[in-house]
Amino acid sequence: MPSQVHRRGPATPEMNITPLIDVVFLLIVFFMLVNTIKMQEAVEMFLPDLDDSQARELASEGFVIVNVAPQRFQRTERTDNPLRFDSTARMVQIGSQQQFPMDDLSGVTAALERRMERNPELEVVLRADSALRYDEVQPVMDAVTAAGISRVNLMAYDPTQE
Amino acid sequence: MSKAVAGPSAEAAEDPTVHHRTARQRRGLAPAKMQPNLSSMIDIIFQLLIYFVVTASFAIDEGVLTATLPTGAGSASDMEPPPETLDIRLVSAGEIGVSIDLGGTGRLDSFTALASELDGLQFDPGRGRHNGVYAPDDPVVIRPAGDVRWQHVVNAFNAAIKARYTNVNFAQPE
Repeated sequence: MPSQVHRRGPATPEMNITPLIDVVFLLIVFFMLVNTIKMQEAVEMFLPDLDDSQARELASEGFVIVNVAPQRFQRTERTDNPLRFDSTARMVQIGSQQQFPMDDLSGVTAALERRMERNPELEVVLRADSALRYDEVQPVMDAVTAAGISRVNLMAYDPTQE
Repeated sequence: MSKAVAGPSAEAAEDPTVHHRTARQRRGLAPAKMQPNLSSMIDIIFQLLIYFVVTASFAIDEGVLTATLPTGAGSASDMEPPPETLDIRLVSAGEIGVSIDLGGTGRLDSFTALASELDGLQFDPGRGRHNGVYAPDDPVVIRPAGDVRWQHVVNAFNAAIKARYTNVNFAQPE
């Protein structure tokens, strides 16, 4: 009597790719989560669009993003003319989590000072909406320099980075 | 009378090698084709495709202009500026417009004209600039009115960087 194995015919080689799929899914989930966290550092806004921009690519590390956020908006309502919008700032956000109201800029200085203790070479990337008034953004710059940080990178829209 | 037999059957009879014939060959069928299961690979490729499409929209289309500002307890404008300061005054015009005034040269139409004017004022023999009076490291101070939009302030800064000035500062709102 032939064995069960031989009755089915010769075995065809099959690669078990289930673990591969598991690993790939885990990597996808990981990278998507990391991306989400990185994106939370950047508050939704319209950055200044410059004439013949001299902006360069952002370094990969050694900086903290300070957002001067505009009032909430729908992207479509500002597409035609980003400057025609409320010129007052809503809040200041440092990194992805720390948020400060506009009347508590000493908190911004204190938070940056704590970060400076960990990294004395810290640079600030200042993201401010293009429609904000200068007297809304300038106090934030003062709060940054008051923490002892002189390297302030002004973020602008850069079409060459698309 | 013998007659030589020619043909494959005769050669086969003389060849001692035993040729194995598969079941498909005995039945006159074509050899089986290899058919790897691609479904899983397609699944993964689609997942990767979706991932890259989603992250592509995250790609930061942002660049930075580097500024070195004087540090201190918000006292940037308390310092006495040196006499050779090159002032760029920005005053709002209308709701969102701006009027650009470069100290001593009058009003300018655009930030491109500002960059050109700043470049012309620079004395830098290394770049063939012999007629200017300002060195690249002379302080350039951007003096915007409080209600000027941030877009115009950064544009003025960008113009100074484009004209290769290295010491660009911001004044308190006027």
